[in-house]
Amino acid sequence: MISERASGEPNARRREATDLYATVLEVVKRYHGAARITRVSYGAGMPVDRLRLLMDRLLALGLLQSEDVDGRPVFDITPRGQEFLDTYWKMRGFVEGLEGAPDRRAGGRR
Amino acid sequence: MSDMHVPRGSSVRVGAVDGDLEVEGRATIEAEGVARVQGEVRCTGSVDVVGNLECREFRSEHGKVHIQGNLTVADRVATDEGELEVSGTFAARDVDVDRRLVLGGPATVETVEVGGRLEGASTLRAKEVSVGGHFTLAGKIEAHSVEAGGSVELHEVSLDDLEVGGMVHVGGGAVRHRIEVGGKFSSDEPITFGDFSVGGWAEFRGHASGQKIEVGGVLSARQDLAFASLEIGGMGDIHGNAAGRDVEIGGKFSVGGRLELTGSLEVGGMISVERELTAASIEVGGKLRAERAIVSGSVEVGGTIQTNAGLKARVIELGPRSRAVGPLVGGRVVLSRGARAEDVFGSTVELDRKCEARRIVAENIRLRESCTVEQIVFTGSLVMESGVTVRSPPQKVATLPPFPL
Repeated sequence: MISERASGEPNARRREATDLYATVLEVVKRYHGAARITRVSYGAGMPVDRLRLLMDRLLALGLLQSEDVDGRPVFDITPRGQEFLDTYWKMRGFVEGLEGAPDRRAGGRR
Repeated sequence: MSDMHVPRGSSVRVGAVDGDLEVEGRATIEAEGVARVQGEVRCTGSVDVVGNLECREFRSEHGKVHIQGNLTVADRVATDEGELEVSGTFAARDVDVDRRLVLGGPATVETVEVGGRLEGASTLRAKEVSVGGHFTLAGKIEAHSVEAGGSVELHEVSLDDLEVGGMVHVGGGAVRHRIEVGGKFSSDEPITFGDFSVGGWAEFRGHASGQKIEVGGVLSARQDLAFASLEIGGMGDIHGNAAGRDVEIGGKFSVGGRLELTGSLEVGGMISVERELTAASIEVGGKLRAERAIVSGSVEVGGTIQTNAGLKARVIELGPRSRAVGPLVGGRVVLSRGARAEDVFGSTVELDRKCEARRIVAENIRLRESCTVEQIVFTGSLVMESGVTVRSPPQKVATLPPFPL
C-alpha cells in the first residue's frame, strides 16, 4: 500500500485525501475494469465502509466509473482518473526530489 | 473414494485421504509424514496444519490457514475473505488469495493473485504475479510479469514486465521488457531494463541501462546511466557518466561525468556537465555549462553558455541578451541582439545589434550597429555597420591561426 508511515521510510508523512484517492485509483487500475470493492479494500488497506464513501466521491468526480456485473458493482478508472494519477505522481516526484534528494554538491564532489 | 471431515476445534492426524478433506475452524491437522489428499482440501475459518500437505485443490474462507510445513497443490489455491501462510515450500498452479499470502520458503506457481499483501521470505518463480496492495519478497523473483496497485519491495529480479501503481524498490537484476511505475522507483544494484516509465521520482543507486526512459518528475542516478532516449519532465541528476541517443529535459539536468549523445539534447532550463559533452545537436532554453562541448550539428542557447575548454559546433546561435563564457568554435556563429561572448572562432561570424565580443577570428565577419569588439582577425570579408567599436585595428591575414578544440 502507498502509506509511507506503514513503509517506515524516514520523513514519512501522514496520508492526505489526495494520497488516498491515488491509492484507491491505482488499486482499481490493477483489476482492468473488474475491481470489486472488497478486493480494493484489501489492496488499499482501508475498511469497506470508509472506502465506499471515498469511491462515491471518486465516482462523483468522474475519476472512477462502475457497472453491475452479476448483480455486483465493479469499478474501473476513467481517463480523467488516469490524468489525476499522472499529475499526482509527477507532483509527488517534484516534492520528493526537492525535499528528499541529498545535495550532491554538499558532498564536495565539485 | 472416502472423504474426511475434521470438526471444529479438533486436532486430527492425517495421512492419506482418497477423497476430499473438509476442515472446520480452529482445527489442527497433524500430518503423518505428508498428508496426501487426492481431492480437495476445504477449510472454513482458521486452521493450522502441522507438517506437509499435498492435494489437488485447496480452498479456504473466512480465516487464516497456517501450513507449518510444505504445501503442494496440483491445481488451484483459492482463499475467500481470508489469509494463507505457508512456512515451507509452496507449489501450485493458480493461486487466488483475497487478503494476505505469506510464504516462508521457496515458491513455484504459474499465476498468483492476491488482493491485499503478498509477503515472501525466499524465492518465487511464477508466470504472472498480481497484487492489489503490497508485495515484498526477500529472495530472487523470476516471473513474466509482476503487477501491483500499491508498493513493491524486491531484491534480485528477473522479469519481463513490472507494473506498479505506487512505489517500487528493487535490489537489482533485469526487467527485459518494461518497467512502469506510477509513483517512485528505486534500485540499489546494477539494473537493466527495456522501457522505463515512472510518473514521479526514479533513483538508480547502481549502474542502470535501458532503452526508452521517461520520468515525469525527478531522476537521480548515483552511477552511470545508459539509454536510447531519456525524457524527464522535471529535473535529472546523474552522478556518473551518461550515454545514449537523445535527451529531453523539462527543467534542470546535471551530469557528474561525461554526457555522450549520438542524437539531440533539449533542455528547457539548465544543463551542467562536469566533463565533456558530445551530441549531434543541442537546444537549451537557459544555461549550458560543461568542461567542453563538441557538437556535430547545431547549438541554440537562450541564456548562457559556460565552458572551460570551449564549445565547438557546426552552427552556434546565442539568443538575445545571452552570454558565452569560454571559446565558441563554429562553422557559423550567430549572436543575437545584445549577446556577449569572449573568443569567437568560425568560418562565418555574425553579431546582431549591441553585441559584444572580446576576440573574433573568422573568415567572414558581419557586425551590426553598436557592436563592440576588442580584436578582429579575418581572411575574407569584414562588414561593419554604423556605431561599431573595434578597440584595435582589424587584422586581415592570409591564414587564420589554428582554432581551439
